[in-house]
Amino acid sequence: MTAIDAATLSPSAAADCPAVRLDRVSKSFGAPRSAAGNGFAVRDVSLDIAAGEFFSLLGPSGCGKTTSLRMIGGFADPTEGSILLDGRDVTGLPPNQRNVNTVFQSYAVFDHLTVADNVAFGLKRQGVARGEIRKRVGAMLDLVQMGAMADRRPRTLSGGQRQRVALARALVCRPRVLLLDEPLGALDLKLRRAMQVELKQIQREVGITFIFVTHDQDEALTMSDRVAVMNGGVVEQCGTPEDVYERPASTFVASFMGTSNLMDGVYRDGSVAITGGPTIAVGDRGLRAGCAVSVSVRPEKIWLSEHEPQMVRIPGTVAETVYSGPTTTYLIEIAPGVTVSALEQNTDRSRNEERWVNGARVELGWRPEHCLVLESAPADQSSLVAA
Amino acid sequence: MSRRSELASPASANQKQAEMSAVVTSSPAAAAAAAPTKQRRRRVERKPRVAIAITAIFFVLLYLPIAVVVLFSFNSQKSLTVFKGFSFRWYDEFFHDHDMIASLGMSLKVSAVAMVGAIVIGVALALGMVRARSWLGSYAGFIMLIPLITPEIVTGVASQLLFKGFYIHLSTTTVIVAEITFSISYVTVILRSRVAALNPELEEAAMDLGATRWQALRLVTLPALMPAILASAVLIFALVFDDFVLAYFTTGVTPEPLSVRIYSQIRNGVRPSINAVGTLMLVGSIGLIALALVIPRFFGRKGGLDILSGE
Repeated sequence: MTAIDAATLSPSAAADCPAVRLDRVSKSFGAPRSAAGNGFAVRDVSLDIAAGEFFSLLGPSGCGKTTSLRMIGGFADPTEGSILLDGRDVTGLPPNQRNVNTVFQSYAVFDHLTVADNVAFGLKRQGVARGEIRKRVGAMLDLVQMGAMADRRPRTLSGGQRQRVALARALVCRPRVLLLDEPLGALDLKLRRAMQVELKQIQREVGITFIFVTHDQDEALTMSDRVAVMNGGVVEQCGTPEDVYERPASTFVASFMGTSNLMDGVYRDGSVAITGGPTIAVGDRGLRAGCAVSVSVRPEKIWLSEHEPQMVRIPGTVAETVYSGPTTTYLIEIAPGVTVSALEQNTDRSRNEERWVNGARVELGWRPEHCLVLESAPADQSSLVAA
Repeated sequence: MSRRSELASPASANQKQAEMSAVVTSSPAAAAAAAPTKQRRRRVERKPRVAIAITAIFFVLLYLPIAVVVLFSFNSQKSLTVFKGFSFRWYDEFFHDHDMIASLGMSLKVSAVAMVGAIVIGVALALGMVRARSWLGSYAGFIMLIPLITPEIVTGVASQLLFKGFYIHLSTTTVIVAEITFSISYVTVILRSRVAALNPELEEAAMDLGATRWQALRLVTLPALMPAILASAVLIFALVFDDFVLAYFTTGVTPEPLSVRIYSQIRNGVRPSINAVGTLMLVGSIGLIALALVIPRFFGRKGGLDILSGE
């Protein structure tokens, strides 16, 4: 009790704490601690999110990312564990007593109020003086480029504009942490890309910690300082975008982050025998012989021409070419029924087109360090994750 | 494949959809389906005379009696069958009939109080029923519908027996209590679907921005429900104002509500001033409906107001 008080009172103590800490947080729906162990939306999640960080919770739908965000916001209470904001335990506090604001998935803009009144809503609740409210609302609307729309009704705005209102309404309260629940989900691709850049800029400008929930791995990679990849209610891996993409900790992370060419096989003496395919040299990985593994090489790491001497090489046949503007993806069969995809820049496309038509023999090559070897999860554990 | 099969059975396919897919797909199957589509539309667009006739008969039957009342309210003679000439004498008689005016005032008072009472209780009930996490919510929703289907005469007799059973003197208060009880169902039925359709993130957003539970309700939820609340208020006012059965069984002595007064007057022979009262009530009702149509404009909503859905 005294420790908590000290943390809240002295700013220097708070500065050492992470802005948000999830300490072994679990959330189950229905009967708590049911014997079967299912019904968990979030299971034993621990995260430290530093002040000023752009942090993403990434995962497929139903992975527990939104539930985690709602627990930080105070809209759901954890069944077990605690949530700390700046070192202060806020578990069980209602949303209006947390210095955290949320941009909702539906934006939840108040249609009966003007844009300016929407943004002023939180400041009025805080009892900020009227002149001050007008000043801060004006500045915030300018920041999100909605200054000209202050007197409009939200009903007359487009989706992207409503989103800006929701963002301004949350940011104007100067929260310690801003929670964003798939805020770009409803926007079309072009606007989405533009908003990604803009959100990142705004975050840098205001210096507030952003916790961003998304199922889009591109979005998480481009925007975040750190990403937590979630699956089945647990955090599979937490690290920088480069960490989770280049060095995935599990087969799930490898397959969720883009195309990964995952192939099952058996490790023995520095090489992996792919099930129904060739044996690939991977170097000594410190695994025991006969260990079941998954091998992954990212499509863009595979070279189809000009190989370097130290490269691992596998022959194959082009089965399919998929042209997509700047790049072309080649599906290459390395054994009957085993295909890998390789991505080539279309820098010199006319030449590639001649060389790698369907049925052409090619030689794939990659640097040994670009080949990931992940120990397959034991069968009983993987079935648990699936449930 | 599914699109093709949809076109193959044009009778079941939505016409617009069939047209759209005919534009999108240029396959022979689509082209073949386009021709019957055109023919079908022509058949739909032809004005069916039977339908027009039925509609006309419907409106005549609906409005002729009312037209007669309006016409004879301006009759210069006492006759209820022969129109002799135009005059305001029956309106004059009505406005000088103090008992009638008192009854009109009573009706307005009962309607206004019952409207407010039913709205407060009905909205609270709708919110509670939708948000109750227990089985009570859905059971309450079912019980709610019983007053709507119970014959009003039963409700009327039952109310009177109840009041008498508890030795409660029949008065204006008893009329109001009975009318509120009777009206709550309407408010709740209208509001319930609106509350259920409300985005739960709206209230969460309000609390996220520092509002207490009560502030979130007052500043966000109720304004979002306001069009539906006003629509049901207008409906309740109109229902209570021209309610006769319930008022008849629960009213005390004087002044009785207008509907009850008119009824007792008719028993002693119909006076033409009744026509004047009827016409005035009609004008008032039309005014209320016009108000209900205009109200949503203030909330920036397009189009009219469907009084049942509150949309």
